Amino acid sequence: MSSQEIKARIFRYDPEQDVEPRFDVYTIPVIKNMAILDVVFHVQNYIDKSLAFRCSCRIGMCGSCAMYINGKPRLACRTQVSSLGTSEVTIMPLPNLPIIRDLATDMEPFFEKWKKIKPYYVGKPELKDPVVIRPDSDEREFIDQMLDCITCGCCYGACSMVATNEDYLGPAALNRAYTLVADKRDSIRVERLKAVGRSYGVWRCHDQFNCAEVCPKNLVPTKSIQQLKKRCVMQKFGVFK
Amino acid sequence: MEEIKTDVLILGSGGAGLFAALHVYDNNPGLDVILATKGLIGKCGCSRMVQGGMNVVLNSADSVDKHFMDTIKGGGYINDQELAYTLVSDAPKAVHELEVKVGCFFDRAENGEIHQKAFAGQSFDRTVHVADLSGIQIIARLTDQVFRRQDRIKVLEETRGLDLLTTAEGDRVVGAVLADMRTGELIVVNAKVVIVATGGASSMYKISAPSVDKTGDGMAMCFRAGAEFCDMEMMQFHPTGLLAGQSRLSGSVLEEGLRGAGGYLINGLGERFMERYDPERMERSTRDRVARAGYMEIMAGRGTESGGVYLVMGHLGSEFVEKKFPGMCDRVRDVGKELSKEPVEISPTSHFMMGGVKIDRDCQASLKGLVVAGEDSSGVHGANRLGGNGIGESVTFGRRAGDTAAALAEQELLRPFRQEQVEEIKQRWLKFFKPTTGVDIYPIRDEIKNLMWEKVGVVREAKKLQEAISRLNGMYEEAQKAYVTNRTLRRFNMEWNEIMNTINWITVARMVANSALLRKESRGSHYRSDCKTDNENWLKNIYMKKKGEFEIETDIRPIISTRFSMEEIRKLNVQY
Repeated sequence: MSSQEIKARIFRYDPEQDVEPRFDVYTIPVIKNMAILDVVFHVQNYIDKSLAFRCSCRIGMCGSCAMYINGKPRLACRTQVSSLGTSEVTIMPLPNLPIIRDLATDMEPFFEKWKKIKPYYVGKPELKDPVVIRPDSDEREFIDQMLDCITCGCCYGACSMVATNEDYLGPAALNRAYTLVADKRDSIRVERLKAVGRSYGVWRCHDQFNCAEVCPKNLVPTKSIQQLKKRCVMQKFGVFK
Repeated sequence: MEEIKTDVLILGSGGAGLFAALHVYDNNPGLDVILATKGLIGKCGCSRMVQGGMNVVLNSADSVDKHFMDTIKGGGYINDQELAYTLVSDAPKAVHELEVKVGCFFDRAENGEIHQKAFAGQSFDRTVHVADLSGIQIIARLTDQVFRRQDRIKVLEETRGLDLLTTAEGDRVVGAVLADMRTGELIVVNAKVVIVATGGASSMYKISAPSVDKTGDGMAMCFRAGAEFCDMEMMQFHPTGLLAGQSRLSGSVLEEGLRGAGGYLINGLGERFMERYDPERMERSTRDRVARAGYMEIMAGRGTESGGVYLVMGHLGSEFVEKKFPGMCDRVRDVGKELSKEPVEISPTSHFMMGGVKIDRDCQASLKGLVVAGEDSSGVHGANRLGGNGIGESVTFGRRAGDTAAALAEQELLRPFRQEQVEEIKQRWLKFFKPTTGVDIYPIRDEIKNLMWEKVGVVREAKKLQEAISRLNGMYEEAQKAYVTNRTLRRFNMEWNEIMNTINWITVARMVANSALLRKESRGSHYRSDCKTDNENWLKNIYMKKKGEFEIETDIRPIISTRFSMEEIRKLNVQY
């Protein structure tokens, strides 16, 4: 194998046909600026057309192409082959989710949990116009940096508490809950806080920061979850309204 | 085959499709909505990929009339003026709703009001945004609101539209046949109203910006159903597409705010070439002119080694660039460059279709029961779209489409579909599983992209356009002989998906190339090296629809100039 090629071990599994998963190995010519997404496209377009994976925007905005790449959840589009520092790459589906086929996972459990925290904004009826908030005020806390979540599921795939607790809401949903609970424009903050202040909610997080380590947007869901925990306690004492 | 009856079927989950769903529900929560989307909800298509932001009049020193004039000036004055005016006058309502009802939070200025940044081709800084990746928040929040209304809005993910169902007379749409790509099964949806909002087809060019799933499906479906189209030659090339070799990152847009903030362009010789093309507005000229200038430099041999020009930001200070454009800096870092410190290679990239299905102010297309919104429609932007008017169109017309669909669904009966038409559609798309050998679709797909770039690209001429049309017709025949390698695998079959994509690309590309041949002048994004701008004879729109099985019938009519007259336009004597 020349240095102009890489060896890709790709996870193959069709739950309806195969007894168990297997790895197929492909040798692929390296191109300039090659992302893992280019690798799987090359295989699917020109070597084995039956390969299945998901992709949409290809520039890290849609969060459709999260995969388990060399032992870590990452976006295929934003993982440059050269950044892996190896000529062999192992590509598997994102952990903790059912597999549709090959690298395409069913994200429904992830979004079912997302829906459980009431992810939608419900504005206070008295707010008739966009609120005036100066950027140098602390009104928004760190909500805005946490709003950049692209629901790719990397955190969900990395979280050991998700892996061992089917009901745990997981980092992305809880991070979303924080951005609404801390948003003073919202009118169902207490209701939402109650939805996350349970054993399968915020208290299941053990501060391992696995989510933050893999987030392609550099968010820190652990920090959001800490903020929720704090508010849950305050709410119990009647301080959070 | 599963059959579903519903009041409203929406195809697409970008800004237009999602907002339409909310408006149908909020008008009448008793109506049933099916929202089918080719990828995951809110994740496919291009609203999600909006970077710069949305143009809207919020400041008392600005006015909708100014925004209107900027829009038609940018559009080479062939916009449907009623639609352009609808865009600018609805945009403030849409932004208000996004903040107050949907829950977006746009970036704030020092005084705490919504911040508005500078974009190109505008007389006022009016682009609202969330840093440099605005689409993520707009679409994520709209999606959350759809989840809130899931009692009536049924979402079908990874379910693409195949074809529209029509009455025997052919004047009304009564539903659509869809394909659930996870199972490979077809679904018949019988609906009172169908909203098509799947986006354009600019992915049919070698260097292009859109998401990979956006392949003109809605336009192709509307063409096959017999809807009328307008100005299909108008294809926007964005001036600053990232160059990244053969990687799929190539062609992705580096947002317009970079030029708005003072970024400039140089050619391979280090010359600030916009001086030669638009000395007054320089890099803040409109996209059509800046893209063409870059292309001319590259063609004249003054480009970079890999066939681009450079975008320069470093002079603005690396701290400023990193702070204002974190998403762009990250993206460029993926190709090993530092946007805030060094020149970055860029090229014009195929980006947006101004042309599309002809609609009125209520998004009603020429067929009854067919409502079209967003990039699939035409007229709003004329010959060139201003940056920031794209997501503006999606949300303003998405809202309208929802209102129209709700009103129609309340008035109309559910009309039966024709089983023989379902069979015909089924045969059209499942036939590729039958042959044991045939044409490999991928080389055809690659050829379309090269052909369109070379012969129907930034600079056009009659001879090349004729060659393209002839080759596209040939490729259409070849694509019909395509086959799916694994004949028994319909579940999540990406090859089958690409065969359907390719046929839709060719269907739309034929309209683009034919329309480009017909417009014997240069205007906006349509530049003919063999024809000059002709304000006497070409203040006109080109209309198209299907004739027989696959022929195109054309009609050329004067522009809709209800607010700014043709005499006034002629006096300006605009030249491209």
